[in-house]
Amino acid sequence: MMLDGLSASLKDALKKLAGKSVVDRAAVDELVKDLQRALISSDVNVKLVMELSKAIRTRSLEEEPPKGMNVREHVLRIVYQELVRLVWASTDVRLEPQTILMAGLQGGGKTTTTAKLARYFQKKGMKVGVICADTFRPGAFDQISTLCAKINVPCFGNPQEKDALKITREGLAALKDQELIIVDTQGRHALEADLIREIIDLNLLTKATHRWLVIDAALGQQASEQAKRFHEAIGIDGVIITKMDGTAKGGGAMSAVAETKSGIAFIGSGETIEDLERFDPDGFISRLLGMGDLKALVERANEAINPEDVDVNAMMKGKFTLRDMYKQLEALNKMGPLKQIMGMLPLGNMQLPEGVYDVTSTKMVRYRIIMDSMTPKELDDPALINSSRMQRIAHGAGATPDEVRELLKYYKMMQRTLKGLRGSGGGKFNMQRLMKRFSGMQ
Amino acid sequence: MFGGLREKLRAARDRLGSSIQAAAVKAEPAEKATVDLPALPVIAPAGSAAPVLSSPTFVDKVRVLITERELIVSEKDVNEALSELEMTLLESDVALPATDAIIDSVEKNLVGRHRKIGESVDTLVVHALKTALLDVLGKGFDLKDYIAKHDRPVKILFTGVNGTGKTTTVAKIGAYLKKEGFTVVIGAGDTYRAGAIEQIGVHAERLGIRIIQHKEGADPSAVLFDAVQYAQSHKIDVVLADTAGRFHNKANLMSQLEKIKRVMKPDLVVYVDEAVAGNDAVTRAAEFDRTVGADAVVLTKADMDSRGGAAISIAHTIGKPLMFLGTGQAYDDIIPFEPEKVVDELLDGGA
Repeated sequence: MMLDGLSASLKDALKKLAGKSVVDRAAVDELVKDLQRALISSDVNVKLVMELSKAIRTRSLEEEPPKGMNVREHVLRIVYQELVRLVWASTDVRLEPQTILMAGLQGGGKTTTTAKLARYFQKKGMKVGVICADTFRPGAFDQISTLCAKINVPCFGNPQEKDALKITREGLAALKDQELIIVDTQGRHALEADLIREIIDLNLLTKATHRWLVIDAALGQQASEQAKRFHEAIGIDGVIITKMDGTAKGGGAMSAVAETKSGIAFIGSGETIEDLERFDPDGFISRLLGMGDLKALVERANEAINPEDVDVNAMMKGKFTLRDMYKQLEALNKMGPLKQIMGMLPLGNMQLPEGVYDVTSTKMVRYRIIMDSMTPKELDDPALINSSRMQRIAHGAGATPDEVRELLKYYKMMQRTLKGLRGSGGGKFNMQRLMKRFSGMQ
Repeated sequence: MFGGLREKLRAARDRLGSSIQAAAVKAEPAEKATVDLPALPVIAPAGSAAPVLSSPTFVDKVRVLITERELIVSEKDVNEALSELEMTLLESDVALPATDAIIDSVEKNLVGRHRKIGESVDTLVVHALKTALLDVLGKGFDLKDYIAKHDRPVKILFTGVNGTGKTTTVAKIGAYLKKEGFTVVIGAGDTYRAGAIEQIGVHAERLGIRIIQHKEGADPSAVLFDAVQYAQSHKIDVVLADTAGRFHNKANLMSQLEKIKRVMKPDLVVYVDEAVAGNDAVTRAAEFDRTVGADAVVLTKADMDSRGGAAISIAHTIGKPLMFLGTGQAYDDIIPFEPEKVVDELLDGGA
């Protein structure tokens, strides 16, 4: 995905922490340093990085890990929370009559994005119109009108006219039957005072519902400053990151979001008119860290604070029934793919063969189905299950008796493992062996 | 352009200067002590007296200080200031690898150097920084000179990712060359983006430059081939070949560019990127250089209050000279890049 480079370096940083049994000051410092380098090389504003890393460092060292959470999970959760705070929420996009004013630097992709947005809202069933208020760049009107013609969206503009305000005024009148109007403007940067004046006037004239700032994913440290000035001028309430199909990591755009205290509305990632995605902050951060759906894991962590699903204590006492296993599998399912769960587990940095996860997580689903056709008695006391019961269960779950047998084998293995975990000395919790056996069973 | 970087560099320079100064001040009492008390060790061979002291570097320092009236700059003296310099460079969009290289070079240049007491710290630091920056920026590229020395028509191919300002740059360079007395033809090789042909067409018309164009969606190689043919038969000096913006990670678009290169056989491949680009500038410059090559670089949008770090990153990555800086929306907003001048301005300007 688009954030591969950043993910790799952050992942490395987190892996280093995973190897530590105790998260001490040095380990956190190391993580923070790696995190800084990773974020800076992704163009996140340097000052922002410093604030962020300071917060992560302080919280990691001072906050007590919540009960039921190991130190690594704790630190990871803090990193995640602080990063999410950065890109905060996705901008609210409503399907109702509105006017959208596009703003941004030269060559950021405003015109292309305007057409993509028109397409997006059109597909949602809205009547969309576009005004081309770019009176400067030659060919701008040709570009947007060609794109609009392809999707049958009316486009108002006049390449002979030099007054953007006049065009927009006429455009608003001409397109008054459209529910949603997008005003494309010429590229400008914050130091061009008369152009900033122009966009302020355009904003007043259109009474725009939204003022979206289009930011090139490759934009560097300049992003914050530019965003700040645009924000001061017209009050940016959403950012669109473009060109995410390149190798740029969008850190500049992230900084722009932090600067304007707005959210990321859309992400542009390709040259065709359909290449526009809604932005999902959790997904963004999770990909950033290369760790799948982190939000679920953080929620899991919150569950760990007041556990209800799995009674760990009862299990540790050796009372582990199929019913417990069922709950476990259900919880795992809720948390998402097994892979991330394994990553979160306090297993140090043990390496698991790729592919094991996928097989096992589909198997988990099968197991649950099989258990669904067991009686409560059988769930409480698996020893009851003889070959005739096995037949019945298999029949009910659409499985073979062999699969039921495999499930029981897995249950016994889990039980043994838990006993080993409880008992001191020899029976060490060896997840690696467990996984090996698991993959052998496929 | 470079205004921000200049200010910050000056601050960093002052820091470096003052921490070395501080080191010198610390050494001062030692100097007095040695001068007052043992006039002997200086005269007598240091060999016998020195082993008493645990740190040979200290002895060394003192000896150098007294006999040669010089100071030795140690790593410790400059560490803090260097990390500040690092931040400055990063904040100025110099990519991480390029920053590391510059810091290394400055450190190497400073640490272990002997400094005459009379010699100003400032000079030393400026010299180190200058060497490092010039090292990275390399030499400029004189286009006029190049055209004068080569067979006509000189074919120049412009490449780069989307939205960096290739088309505008082609127009500006066309205007520049025309003013310098060359004849120019433009090939409208961006046949992909809607409105691109119209855009370059309007520019050419305004500038009174002949343009060769096909329809939208045509094969860019064919357009540019025609432009070269036209130039040959009309004895035109320079062919400026515009192309569609493309991302370096799109294999098919990059191979299209390779085809263009095969067909029109450019004398110069000019890579265009924007001064405001961050760390990605490094990735994509390297990739463009690897696939289609780059002989020179044009950096656009340098007027955006930019700190100019991209110039340093790109030059450091592909080691190709910077030819022009684009500094605004008008046709004459383009200036030939002269590294020495820029570095001088960065370090001495206004000081």
